[in-house]
Amino acid sequence: MKIASLFLSALLVLATPLQAQSLPGDSVYHLQARTQDSHGAPVAWASLRGQPRLVSMFYTNCHLMCPLILENAKSVQKQLSPAERRQLGMVMVSLDPSRDTPDAMQEVARRHRVPEGWQFLTPAANDVRAIASVLDVRYRFRDDGSINHTSVLVLLDAEGRVRARSEVTAAAADPAFLIQIKALLAGP
Amino acid sequence: MKRTLPPTATLLLLAMASALAVAGDAGSGYRWIEGGDFRSSVRYEESTRIVRVASFSLMARPVSNRDFAAFVARQPQWRRDRIPAVFASPGYLGHWAGPDAPGDGVDPEAPVVHVNWYAADAYCRAQQARLPRFAEWEYAAAADATRRDARQDAAWRMRQVNDGTPHAIDAAPDAPANAYGIQGLHGAHWEWSEDYASLLGDGDRRGQQDGDALRYCGATAMSFNDPGDYGVVKRFVLLSALRPDATLGNLGFRCARSTP
Repeated sequence: MKIASLFLSALLVLATPLQAQSLPGDSVYHLQARTQDSHGAPVAWASLRGQPRLVSMFYTNCHLMCPLILENAKSVQKQLSPAERRQLGMVMVSLDPSRDTPDAMQEVARRHRVPEGWQFLTPAANDVRAIASVLDVRYRFRDDGSINHTSVLVLLDAEGRVRARSEVTAAAADPAFLIQIKALLAGP
Repeated sequence: MKRTLPPTATLLLLAMASALAVAGDAGSGYRWIEGGDFRSSVRYEESTRIVRVASFSLMARPVSNRDFAAFVARQPQWRRDRIPAVFASPGYLGHWAGPDAPGDGVDPEAPVVHVNWYAADAYCRAQQARLPRFAEWEYAAAADATRRDARQDAAWRMRQVNDGTPHAIDAAPDAPANAYGIQGLHGAHWEWSEDYASLLGDGDRRGQQDGDALRYCGATAMSFNDPGDYGVVKRFVLLSALRPDATLGNLGFRCARSTP
């Protein structure tokens, strides 16, 4: 069984170019962007395809809004059933690759007691703007090293289509957004 | 005398040939721009008005239809009939006769327009380059033909009201290069910047629902150190209102490279 699934995943890897052709036109996974996770392993942006995901952009050296983004996303996850929780991938993407090393990302996950299984991704420096663009996140570095940015949770379906957005203004999840998430997860 | 002429003429010819080679290279060539501290006309929320611009290189001319056609031939995913919807709006390369060629009705040497930010970004990456940041554009565009910072010249600046129109200073084909050897920065076409989406207006908007507010011209028009810097004000307001998949008939791009 294990060998069979290994073989299957090898096949999937081989089939990637074919898969790319069937990717819907409005998928954010058309973007060829490189990231690394909080263990330093490379993660291609497009490899996030295959599972609905909640994605947000933040940076670790941010003490006001970013904790709120993390708390809001945690609040969303908390209100899902265990089955829904397994379905929905949680992805936090850095706006600040020069400072958000894998260690910094692990540290912020620890500090905010983020549940197991979340992905903390740091894009290559020249891929941040493009990822932000497909997610409709605007940001600008200030002289003091802080970043003005759109604080938003973006719901992507398994094919990478944006299905809903939730502007983060508080630590509690937006009920309307939760309904949209549950509807997507319940869908075919 | 006559005997010494041929070698001189040869030397002259050689010098002219190398000058021509340099001029020929200018078509897609880059010009080095020495960085410095710069008083931006844009007021961000920081109290300081001085922006430090590191030295960089900028294309002497915007990317042409010919250049861009060569690019879509190499990377056909950027053809207008193949570009994924996530990157494109319907007008993308809409002025070209075909999906892979501008056709006879379009000047191959004219700046390519109706390109969106994603395609411009991809083009520059393929050149091992990037789009210039807005501050870099502003810094380079502060120069006229003889001065690196001509912004105190009110008459020159007034003419920038016409930037982005056929009456722009650099719109004429014989308009001189600026002091850095760069052409067309105040031309009939606007150009994408790398950070089009970071041109937030003033005020601390961290975490607020600024998504829409900063897309209105009014919100951004307030945040200038020098509202009389028309070229910069117009450009800033335009770029900050754009979505990355947007295209315009007078919006093209050129690429930049950081100094290693």
